[in-house]
Amino acid sequence: MNMIKPGITLACTLLLSGLPAVAHHSGAAYFELDVDIEHTNATVVSYDIVNPHGRLAYTFTDEDGNEVEWSGELASANNLRRRGLGGEIFKPGDQLALVVGNPSRSGANFSRLTRVEFANGDIAQLTGRNTGITRADAE
Amino acid sequence: MTIFSSLVRAGLVGLLAVQIVGTANAQADFEGIWTPQHPPRMGQPDPATVRLTPAGQVEFEAFSPEKDPTLRCLMPGIPLGLVDPYPIEIVQQDHQILILYEHFHQVRRIFMDGREAPDHWLPSLIGYSTGHWEGETLVIRTTHLSPDNYMWTAGYPFSGDENTYVIERWSRDGDILSFTGEVHDPIYYEEPYVVNGQWSFAPDGEIWEYECIPEFGGIELPEE
Repeated sequence: MNMIKPGITLACTLLLSGLPAVAHHSGAAYFELDVDIEHTNATVVSYDIVNPHGRLAYTFTDEDGNEVEWSGELASANNLRRRGLGGEIFKPGDQLALVVGNPSRSGANFSRLTRVEFANGDIAQLTGRNTGITRADAE
Repeated sequence: MTIFSSLVRAGLVGLLAVQIVGTANAQADFEGIWTPQHPPRMGQPDPATVRLTPAGQVEFEAFSPEKDPTLRCLMPGIPLGLVDPYPIEIVQQDHQILILYEHFHQVRRIFMDGREAPDHWLPSLIGYSTGHWEGETLVIRTTHLSPDNYMWTAGYPFSGDENTYVIERWSRDGDILSFTGEVHDPIYYEEPYVVNGQWSFAPDGEIWEYECIPEFGGIELPEE
């Protein structure tokens, strides 16, 4: 399923907050920060923890039954590691129940990722003050 | 004049001299690692308060992400790198103060010995910085800045004209280090662009390596 959910969302709040986990440059220049795009039942292809931005690639099946690949920009490697999102948080083959991001203005299959929910209930918050991983079994 | 009165006079003169020199040399201790605690909008001004010149407005509207040096793995320099969401380390020496940024391993040398920029100094991302103390406030003046940069995100331009310069005023209040920077760019701005930064003292903080891979700049330019 590939849904676009317009609206003033968490992403806008985070843009204005200027918190350490945000990217150095303004996402507004490259991404539609007032739009959330959601992909469900995705599979991790790769997770690159690099500077200036990490990247998560994944596939999912769209409404027409085609497998499509997307990737999303993340915070820098240093900020990801400081927030506990380094290492093998995402491994190839991991099942993701939900991937949320702000789509690229280019129209490419690319976004600024804001949140990922794993199939096991873990949640990775990828922007803002609460950036980090929340384990389902810790609640 | 008695020997006693001469000694008293000499002592008073000496005390006055010490006081004058002490005031001139007053300085604060900024040494150590500091972790970012910047104001909202990463210390950038409210866009409604930024007054661009007509030339600046043209540049603002023509902004392209390609102007961002960091997406090509170049250090942000000045003014773009005045505030970043990463720790810094400050080293104070007699002749210079070093600001070591985790972000892109950026190093700033603030010369404190009264020297001026040599004639051969070329414009660069980091420019040429000199400083002095006003009481416990460190005042930094940076010149020789590069036109291959921009002011801040969302497209605020920076001309890099030879008359551009930045004045920073740094001060410490307990475990908080803060500065206000005035970027003077009369080509693109009617008034100085003012940015604020703040850090908290982090004696156990760490400065990490910041390797960078340009392919992960994250730029997906809008289609023509």
